[in-house]
Amino acid sequence: MRQFFQGLTAETTAGQIGAGITLGFLIGLMPKATLTAQLLIVLMMATRVNIPMAILTVFAVSLVNPLLDKITDPIGYALLTSEALRPLWTKLYNMPIAPWTGFNNTVVPGGLVFGALLSAPVYFTGRRFGVFYNEKFRERVMNSKFVKGLKASWLLDWYFKGAV
Amino acid sequence: MRWSYILPRFTLLVLLWAFFFFAFDPLLKWGLIKGLEKGAKAKAEIQALKTSFLHPSLKLTGLAIGDSKEEYRNLLEFAELSFSAEGAPLLEKKLVVDSASLKGLRFGTPRKTSGKLPFVKEEPSELVDAMVAESKGFALERAADVKTDAASDYKVDPAELESVKLAKQLEESYQKDYAAISSRVDTKKYEAGLDAMKARYEKAKGEKNFAKQAKDYADIAKEVKKLTADFKKDKEETEASLAKAKDAFKAVEEARKKDMAAVMAKMKLPSLDTQSIARMLAGPLIAEKTALAMKWMALARKYMPANTKGVLKNEARRGREVHFPKEKTYPTVLVRRLELTGELGEDPLEYSGTVEGLTTQPQVYGRPTTAVIKGVKGARRLDFKTSVDATGTEIMTASELSYAGMPVARLQLGSPSSFMVDITNGTGALEASLKTAGEEISGNAAFRLAGASFKPKADNIKAAPLRSAVESSFAGLSSAVIGAEISGTMKSPRLAINTDLANALSKAFSGAMGAEVKKAQEAAQKKVDEALKPYRAKLDNLAAAKQAELGGKLKDAESKISGMSDGLLKNLTPGKMKLPKFKL
Repeated sequence: MRQFFQGLTAETTAGQIGAGITLGFLIGLMPKATLTAQLLIVLMMATRVNIPMAILTVFAVSLVNPLLDKITDPIGYALLTSEALRPLWTKLYNMPIAPWTGFNNTVVPGGLVFGALLSAPVYFTGRRFGVFYNEKFRERVMNSKFVKGLKASWLLDWYFKGAV
Repeated sequence: MRWSYILPRFTLLVLLWAFFFFAFDPLLKWGLIKGLEKGAKAKAEIQALKTSFLHPSLKLTGLAIGDSKEEYRNLLEFAELSFSAEGAPLLEKKLVVDSASLKGLRFGTPRKTSGKLPFVKEEPSELVDAMVAESKGFALERAADVKTDAASDYKVDPAELESVKLAKQLEESYQKDYAAISSRVDTKKYEAGLDAMKARYEKAKGEKNFAKQAKDYADIAKEVKKLTADFKKDKEETEASLAKAKDAFKAVEEARKKDMAAVMAKMKLPSLDTQSIARMLAGPLIAEKTALAMKWMALARKYMPANTKGVLKNEARRGREVHFPKEKTYPTVLVRRLELTGELGEDPLEYSGTVEGLTTQPQVYGRPTTAVIKGVKGARRLDFKTSVDATGTEIMTASELSYAGMPVARLQLGSPSSFMVDITNGTGALEASLKTAGEEISGNAAFRLAGASFKPKADNIKAAPLRSAVESSFAGLSSAVIGAEISGTMKSPRLAINTDLANALSKAFSGAMGAEVKKAQEAAQKKVDEALKPYRAKLDNLAAAKQAELGGKLKDAESKISGMSDGLLKNLTPGKMKLPKFKL
């Protein structure tokens, strides 16, 4: 919550917004109940990317998952059934903790590959959106009743320690 | 780096460690106690519980679970349970214990404090209640006044007869069974199969290559034969299912006997049927022990996976899961070997044994759970072995118990309201076996009593000749055999009891006033039979009609399918070859 509200006003350079959208896109492609998705979420929270944009992208991508799965599933299936990669998968499958990553679910490796391939275009599109957001919306968000209300609230002020 | 994110999470980890170090054991102990109390419906105590995470292990001492039926008695207690879990499977969220130890297991021990839980009511057992009611209702008091026309004023209401109620139920269930069986007879799939064969034959007929044609014909013939054999198998299975459905009718006869005993009891007349007498004498005791055993079995089955196929299913909410060869597959919980020691009875018989393959996922483990327990003390000898096989689609269990030289300080048979026999200072030997397959249950037990003294309490028998006949039939008796057979299903078990004491008692009844009672019984039986007759006839007619209907349906299908297959098989000979003619 705190990161979300802080992200509305801080860490809003075009690059940070682009990186947030890219990470959110990758997380959105993953099934959430896997260690891979959880590690990506930790990465998102621990780095200085724009969190609100990342979270909104996660939700947006998650909504169109049934459609995206039609692309990621065959990619993942091809990878997981590839004879060349079979020794690697078998080794991972027999390793402790590795099965928690859900690597043997077609949409996980498929989503990672698909996400990695699209990361550059998504990042640059996201950065352009960042420029657009900063020019057109940032001031409006900062001056919105919602953010002003947040700033005026002593409880939230105490909670955010004046970060908003 | 965003330290404001990382530092709170690090603090959380420290708090998590502190929780496991200080609060986990008391919470686990509390959770276990609550879980045990919920299952046993009585108080449970655990003296101490200690877990260790670095070398994953658990040690539990002083566990006692109260008996919901007896306030100051424990259902069971043990001194110590300890085990160490293997580390690697824990990383896969699986608890694998190579060797565990359970010490000082005892049953039915006295407890100092009340084991009763507030607001908890023990569910009554239908089996025990029925046996107790039958035993209480066993009438002897009017035996002296019995007259030949005792049954003439007694009216039998068909609606109250168990056999009539059962006949109505069976009629309904037979209709349902028939509908289910009948719907399974799908002859169309065989006809479609034969039509496909016919099409293949027509295609092969035009084949010019003789060798290929011969091969095609051979393949078709093979498949036609298989299809016909499959149909025959289906037909046999259908007929067997229908016969099995009809088998349930046998229960009406048992219910009729019980109705007879009930009618006699209502007329305040004793039943001369040895089974009724055996049920009156040993029924409540055996039913109570059986109900207790069934309660344990039901509890075990509740926590046993009924169908463990689920653990292997490939069911991801998104995408598909691809599985690879696993070098080591562990079930979620597995105790490979549990060493067990304990004591049995008031003059304790020490026993020891092992339980192997205790698991929550038998299909993954692939082996049944087995237990072997042995104990010897002087002439006393205990042997118990059991096997629970849940590796297949249904759970199969097989248990055998042999306990010889068992001291019997006091045993009471019968009911205080009718007739009782007090057995003291004897030695007993119990042989029992029990098998279950899914819901089906079957088993038998024989309890041989020797060197005991038998004291009948016949105060409720007002007729002096009958009382003295009953008393003299037990005089000088020092041994007895009580047998029980259980069948039916887990939900509605059927119990048949027999004992030589019942034979002695029946002889005493017959000798003292058998003729009069017999006449009254015959008259009552006539009434019961007359009341049951229309329902029984309806049931028999229904079975005959449905059997004929299904038989006709199957016969028609068989003639159609065999006609089609015979016709096909006849044609399945390769085309004639033109052989060169030789002039000699």
